[in-house]
Amino acid sequence: VTAAPPRLPDALTALRDRLAAAPFGLATAGRDDAARAARAVADQIDDYLLPRLLDLDAPLLTVVGGSTGAGKSTLVNSLVGAPVTTSGVLRPTTRAPVLVCARTDLSAFSGDRVLPGLARVTGSGGGPGTLQLVARDDVPPGLALLDAPDVDSVVETNRELAGQLLAAADLWVFVTTAARYADAVPWDLLRTAQERGTALAVVLDRVPPEAATEVAADLAGMLRDAGLSAARLFVIEELPLADGRLPDEQVAPLRTWLHGLAADQEARATVVRQTLTGALGSLERRAAGIAVALEEQMAAAESLRGAAAAAYTAAYEGIDEGVRSGTLLRGEVLARWQDFVGTGEWMRALQGQVGRLRDRLASAVTGRPSAVEGLQGALENSVERLLRAEAERAAERTVTAWRSLPGGADLLAGAQRELEQVSPDFPEAAAAQVRDWQGTVLDLVRSEGADKRSRARIMSWGINGAGAVVMVAVFAQTGGLLGGEIAVAGGTAAVGQRVLEAVFGDAAVRALAARAREDLQERVDGLLRYEQERFDGLVRGAAPSPEAADELRAAVRDLDAARRAGA
Amino acid sequence: MSRKEQPLADRLAALREAVEVAEDRLDVPEAGRARALLAKAGARAALGDATVVALAGATGSGKSTLFNALSGGEVSTPGVRRPTTGVAHATVWGADDGADRLLDWLEVPRRHRHEPEPALDGLVLLDLPDHDSVRLEHRLEVDRLVGLVDVLVWVLDPEKYADAAVHDRYLAPLAGHAGVLLVVLNKIDRLDAASARACMADLRGLLDREGLAATPVLALSGRSGTGVAEFRGELARRVAARRAATDRLTADVRAAATALSVHCPEGNASLRAAGGTDGADDVVDALAAAAGVPAVTAAVERSTVRAGAARTGWPLVRWIRKLRPDPLARLHLGDERARTSLAPAGPVELAGVTTALRRARDDAGEGLPQVWRDDLRRTVADAEDRLADRLDQAVAGVDLGPDRVPLWQRAAGGLQWLLALVALAGALWLLALVGLGLLQLDDVLPLPRVEGIPLPSLLLGAGLLGGLLLALVARPLVRIRARRRRRAADRRLRAAVAAVAEEEVFAPMAEVGADAARFCAAVAIARR
Repeated sequence: VTAAPPRLPDALTALRDRLAAAPFGLATAGRDDAARAARAVADQIDDYLLPRLLDLDAPLLTVVGGSTGAGKSTLVNSLVGAPVTTSGVLRPTTRAPVLVCARTDLSAFSGDRVLPGLARVTGSGGGPGTLQLVARDDVPPGLALLDAPDVDSVVETNRELAGQLLAAADLWVFVTTAARYADAVPWDLLRTAQERGTALAVVLDRVPPEAATEVAADLAGMLRDAGLSAARLFVIEELPLADGRLPDEQVAPLRTWLHGLAADQEARATVVRQTLTGALGSLERRAAGIAVALEEQMAAAESLRGAAAAAYTAAYEGIDEGVRSGTLLRGEVLARWQDFVGTGEWMRALQGQVGRLRDRLASAVTGRPSAVEGLQGALENSVERLLRAEAERAAERTVTAWRSLPGGADLLAGAQRELEQVSPDFPEAAAAQVRDWQGTVLDLVRSEGADKRSRARIMSWGINGAGAVVMVAVFAQTGGLLGGEIAVAGGTAAVGQRVLEAVFGDAAVRALAARAREDLQERVDGLLRYEQERFDGLVRGAAPSPEAADELRAAVRDLDAARRAGA
Repeated sequence: MSRKEQPLADRLAALREAVEVAEDRLDVPEAGRARALLAKAGARAALGDATVVALAGATGSGKSTLFNALSGGEVSTPGVRRPTTGVAHATVWGADDGADRLLDWLEVPRRHRHEPEPALDGLVLLDLPDHDSVRLEHRLEVDRLVGLVDVLVWVLDPEKYADAAVHDRYLAPLAGHAGVLLVVLNKIDRLDAASARACMADLRGLLDREGLAATPVLALSGRSGTGVAEFRGELARRVAARRAATDRLTADVRAAATALSVHCPEGNASLRAAGGTDGADDVVDALAAAAGVPAVTAAVERSTVRAGAARTGWPLVRWIRKLRPDPLARLHLGDERARTSLAPAGPVELAGVTTALRRARDDAGEGLPQVWRDDLRRTVADAEDRLADRLDQAVAGVDLGPDRVPLWQRAAGGLQWLLALVALAGALWLLALVGLGLLQLDDVLPLPRVEGIPLPSLLLGAGLLGGLLLALVARPLVRIRARRRRRAADRRLRAAVAAVAEEEVFAPMAEVGADAARFCAAVAIARR
């Protein structure tokens, strides 16, 4: 037996690390199976492949596994010839595994070489999560018998542990009974053994003597159909137990075969190599399945992210549409322009004075003050309201979409009510952004119009002066009661826009508006991105990294190369 | 039983009501299953009160042996090869023809007729295939029949009694059916007495943990006959009671209702009715803004001012005003069938509507389970789509208030004409005087004077000044009237908008709440 190529253990360790790191946070259809498979492969690498590769001459680990009540413990006791493990009528009987080996081999199992996840216990049996070690002189060196828990009882931890132990075995002794040999669960395991090329012996226990031939033939046929004709089949008839043990002549063939394996180094090495090669060979296929599941996770994450992105893009477009199609933008630019040129101030003051006079007259007659609407406040309010409604709509749309997407409902669990709303600090952030934006528009107008200011002011004075004259005239004529001066003021504002356009040129005004819009878009984008991030963050926390599947495949390729180099 | 049992018919009626509500409102799989159960209940009830007992169990547990022991002959062939029974077998006690129809309904073709035996007459015993072998079709047949039979006897044996295949897949999910289940531990002759006791205690504990404390467990041996008499007695008791079918259906209905009850609030939290909250006012405000109510009221005011000013203004210039269009007429209100010329709601108004509706909906959905809040959302989303058109119709159809010309305006108008005539008379007189002056006849007629002012000049001056003054005095009155009309129009428009909101938003939302309450009440009755 040559030493394993140095790279193979490294490649296995790398693959194990990849699998251990693979997160399966999204509840996709294949998630549970894949996570279980990933754990199983990682366990098998730790429990079996690495230790076996490092020491090909270590004792043969024979795991006695099978259905609950099949008589595994009784069989082990009978093979050893002493009550090393508890047998009984209560199911499941064995909950903590028991390992029996020769005293000289004890060192091979007492350390963390195989099954590092199980604590070692000697003396009487330990609880779940432990492995009881029993040294017996009547077990030949080079052979270790492991009494595993059942594969099919109601105790789930038993089933998982049994799977882990079987994966760590050099040789399976699979125990079934005349009543069970067609059960679905054990056959799933036998198929696994066949796929992995595990060395296998099948014990048909508890056979009524009168039916032995017929049942044995039937089972042999089933094994043949499953491609397991290489497996040795031992039949043990159901006879009264003596001292809790099977009659010696019933277990003799199995014991002889096992002892023969222990004694014959060549035969033992063959068994070890068969299982090792099979296990290594199965890794590629199993890892490929996990990689597919990882890709499924990534696709699920992608569609979740896509749903959020679509909702928030729609919100962004909705806001943009609202700002562009309305008079919001031009109104904002004009207001800033008038602030900047300064004549707006004068006009406003005049309008204010005239308005006050009018209000005084009106309230003298009606006894009621008239309301003055603040354009500024109304505008700010409008943009904010638009932002808020669209952000809420997007949050709700995302939540609705997620609930029907694989993995989405789990991610939302508990937080759905909060996620359906905008984040708590959104209104404040939106208000701050809108204020900032208005400041930016003023800056924009200021920098654009610095050299045109005086001309604009003169022109505006001209317009506003004319407007004021008309206003005063109208006011005087109507006694301020008709509100005609407001129309004039409005007209002046409209002319103000013309002035704006005349000074800058129509194109420049449009460019100004466009830049104001771009700035608002940027801010809206930032605000919505922050909102969307709440969803993206959830996905990121649960989904595997985009390279996970490729890295896993690369690790498998490395392993393949290492095997070929070693072969 | 200390409390009087709810009759099955009442439970079924309640479940039917719940299912009907759920099928209209909710998109939940439980409703489909409950509907299937209702169909099954109807079919089973029509087939009489025979008791269908099924022996179910794992391969090799001795179902067929026990079946034959009860049937008194080899009806189902037990064997040593596994799996054995592939199709269900039936043994019928009694000569009732109904049993055949029952078995047709169950789709069990293999039948054996047992000679009449008073204790068991009316028993239909089924031997089911195994549920855990490599043959998937066996398991599917078991699943089908497990859903249909009246009493399920699970045959376990000392080797297999703790298999996950039976506990996780069948026994634990049937926790609500403890009363219609029976568990027997077969092959008890293979254990000594102490082991048998320990085994029974372990099985009992296992079942108790799964919520099947009410299920009896019998130990027997189909081969040696130990305990078979007790088992037969238990079957006879159930057959004699003639209520196995009802019990089974009751358990099914309760299970279905319990499944549906996840869509009801925990405990007996009451369901709040929607509407009449602050949210409702917000919705009406937002809808009014979106429907263009401010534009209409402003137009009403301007139009009233315009009409009033025209009526009370100076007659010689009032025609100028007629050149400007009436702002109210431009909106084309007054015809419900035609679209108005109001500008459609802008994005900001629509955003306001969305936000207000959302808030009202969340208020109404407070305390409701998720599926009902989903239904509320669908309802409100549908309403939102219809609102624009409905609001426009409503605004178009609103009677904006009486537009009678006030008496004082008529009087002022008349007075204006009078004053104008006076001024005209003065002017004509003065013209006549000018003409006479040209003809040097100005002294022919005496010129009447009032307080030293010649009468024609006085007429002209008073007419003009009076007209101007009257117009000035009338203005504020016109404006007051315009404001009043505006407020009246606003009230009426808002009332119309509120009616639309009630009809399109609040009533459907309240209906959802009412349906949720109805659903939960029905579910509570069905699962009581």
